[in-house]
Amino acid sequence: MRTEERNGVAGAGRDQFPVGMRVLAVDDDPVCLKVLETLLRRCQYHVTTTNQAVIALRMLRENREMFDLVISDVHMPDMDGFKLLELVGLEMDLPVIMLSVNGETKTVMKGITHGACDYLLKPVRIEELRNIWQHVVRRKFSTRECVTLDTYEECNKPLSADSDYAYGQVTCGSPDQSGRPSKKRKEYHSEEEDEDEDSNGQDNDDPSAPKRPRVVWSVELHRKFVAAVNHLGIDKAVPKRILELMNVEKLTRENVASHLQKYRLYLRRLSAVASQQAGIVAALGGRDPFLRMDAFEGLQGYQAFTSPAALSSFSAHGLSSPRNNQAAVVIQGRSIHTGSVSSTTNNSIGDANKYHLSLQGNQHGKLAQGLATSLGQAQLQQKWMNEDNGDLSAILCGNSLVKGMPSTLRSVTSSTLLPQDQVECTQAKVAIQPSIRAPPASLELLEGAVGASSDPLESRVSQQGALPLCGFSGSRLPVHGPFNNNGATRLGDAFSASFRPTNDLTVARGSKVGASSFGGTIHLSPDTEQKYWSFGSGNSFRQKADESSADSLLDPKLVWSSSQLTSNVDAHHSMSQRSNNCSINIGHGARMFGQISANASPVVPQAKIDFLFSGDTSMARNASESSIPRLQTELSSSTCSFDGLLNSMIKVEKDDNAFGDDLGCDFYSLGACI
Amino acid sequence: MDYSNLRRQAASMKKGLFDQGHLDEQFRQVEDLQDEASPNFVEEVAVLFFKDSGRLISNLEQALEKYPRDFNRWDAYMQQLKGSCSSIGASRMKSECMSFKDNCGKGNVEGCMGCLQKLKREHAILRQKLESYFQLLRQAGPTGAATRPVM
Repeated sequence: MRTEERNGVAGAGRDQFPVGMRVLAVDDDPVCLKVLETLLRRCQYHVTTTNQAVIALRMLRENREMFDLVISDVHMPDMDGFKLLELVGLEMDLPVIMLSVNGETKTVMKGITHGACDYLLKPVRIEELRNIWQHVVRRKFSTRECVTLDTYEECNKPLSADSDYAYGQVTCGSPDQSGRPSKKRKEYHSEEEDEDEDSNGQDNDDPSAPKRPRVVWSVELHRKFVAAVNHLGIDKAVPKRILELMNVEKLTRENVASHLQKYRLYLRRLSAVASQQAGIVAALGGRDPFLRMDAFEGLQGYQAFTSPAALSSFSAHGLSSPRNNQAAVVIQGRSIHTGSVSSTTNNSIGDANKYHLSLQGNQHGKLAQGLATSLGQAQLQQKWMNEDNGDLSAILCGNSLVKGMPSTLRSVTSSTLLPQDQVECTQAKVAIQPSIRAPPASLELLEGAVGASSDPLESRVSQQGALPLCGFSGSRLPVHGPFNNNGATRLGDAFSASFRPTNDLTVARGSKVGASSFGGTIHLSPDTEQKYWSFGSGNSFRQKADESSADSLLDPKLVWSSSQLTSNVDAHHSMSQRSNNCSINIGHGARMFGQISANASPVVPQAKIDFLFSGDTSMARNASESSIPRLQTELSSSTCSFDGLLNSMIKVEKDDNAFGDDLGCDFYSLGACI
Repeated sequence: MDYSNLRRQAASMKKGLFDQGHLDEQFRQVEDLQDEASPNFVEEVAVLFFKDSGRLISNLEQALEKYPRDFNRWDAYMQQLKGSCSSIGASRMKSECMSFKDNCGKGNVEGCMGCLQKLKREHAILRQKLESYFQLLRQAGPTGAATRPVM
């Protein structure tokens, strides 16, 4: 009998992974479920099926060790697939693959931002199922390794500035043994070290650092953290409960407490920004594809936290005031994006404003909020910049930590920009959920990055994810135009040149659509490596800055703002005009925006650009007129990790005198951050 | 019994279904999943499909009446049906599903109604054809019959 055979195989197969991998399939459609079950059996997995999500949850809760992977339909009558996805990710930390006949970008984005490690379209082909085991492996690597003591030592390199936030590479112990980790580490180090120098507000636990093992708040870890916090409710989230929910060994209550403190600061900052941004967002209207709050939500959740440190450091450094706005803008952009993603409407921005919006599973809600507000307030750019810078940079530097973005936002405001955060950002696996590690460069990047797995940090990036990103970055983003093509290519170059981590981004970007995608929808996968994309965008900007041509502006922006399209355009202008643009690249536009917008960008698009960095293209949009300038600045600030970018930008030309001077410093600081 | 002849007829019937666009590649994938362990897999899936899709179609009809102009709801119902169709490879039905969704998107009630009617027609046609096909297959005997001497 087949079942018995399968069981037998399953039993023996445990040693012959992926044979015997235990899959739980959930789909209310009996036809699909039956076919899926048979397909999975054909792949020699051990399959359990149920047509009700509640039953699935019960089975999982009873014994989480019973399964390795969950495949779930998106549309189910008893429970929303995304909700199930969140819960499984949070409580059991199992990889979840979403399944749907609906392949619309916004839905896929939603899946990503909610933490799906992949998204398959029906009808599912057996070839696709043959590879799903990689998600199991990847998760094991990413979560287990980073929390171990050994990993701590490894990951806590010379970075000093971090107290117990070693936002080190997510993949400290990741399977990325190909040498990338070390490379990343170097990036990290340099960034962090730079950061340290620049950021005054960073937490330095020098005296104790060497002694105590530091927790590396990897992307995965942060994701779990945010999920736990959302589950409990931000008000009720106490370290003890969070710790229990996260269920990560070797993580102490103190680690969680300290992380929570930072997170709270971040959220506070975001909410402040968000309220301001709300106005902008509203102005921009939700149409902007970039304003996917959803994306942000997911993104925010992660990034915000992870890279806040990074961002803050950045912002601290160079970006400071002018950039803040940008950062803010950026953040907003992101939130908007994320917001929209989930809400699939521009209205997401509003959502973004609600931090806890994402509780649904959108951790990025918080971010979104921040972002949202930022957008609303293009005017407040200044303010944002400060705040956002941190975040943005975090995001940007997250190297691919898309997630970083949110954190960057936070970090911007919070002075505690732990270098680690930044490092994390950069290092974080960009792994956008579909296992795409896309440097944050912008949502789009994410998309693209995912594919390109610009995951410089991680070798693990699953290209599959990346593919979609790259692919769609171009297609998806409603980039208004200039970006699309110009940006993309340039960015790619820019990125690759600027930094290593972003190389991937560039690859992702440059390869494809880069331009197109950037502007458009920043697909922030909250879970993963959203940070990356923020990063990516930042870079792109730089490139542009150098070119000081409108196009160039767009390019970097494209990355980020592709989604923002409109703003991008503006941003570009402004960017090009100013050398400041560079700043955007760096940090995330915080600086850049300010400047850029000033110059040319009368157009709102700039606002978008800002976002690009942080992935908040949406922001850019909102900012449109006013925000753009701000956005840019913010963006610049947020790109912490774009060290290379920074430098490139600086070199480029400081056309924009006004900012140039400022930026110059900023850039450097940013660079330092990076 | 001339099994080979029956099998030929069945094969030609199947080819006709493909050529006329009733079925697509996914159906072949489903067929591939049939093996000794589940010798009637395809037919089981088909039976399940017709039962389930019949239910979904009638739900949809009711929804069209009970919730006029509730395009979101209609779209959601249709989404389910579309998923089923794509899983078995019911190509024409799937096209109608997509047209229906388009019409929902445009807010075109008449268009939706029209699509639903077409869908029902295609559903009935496919069901009838597949039933004949399976019957023929059954008559042609299990694949093992191929090794039996022709009688």
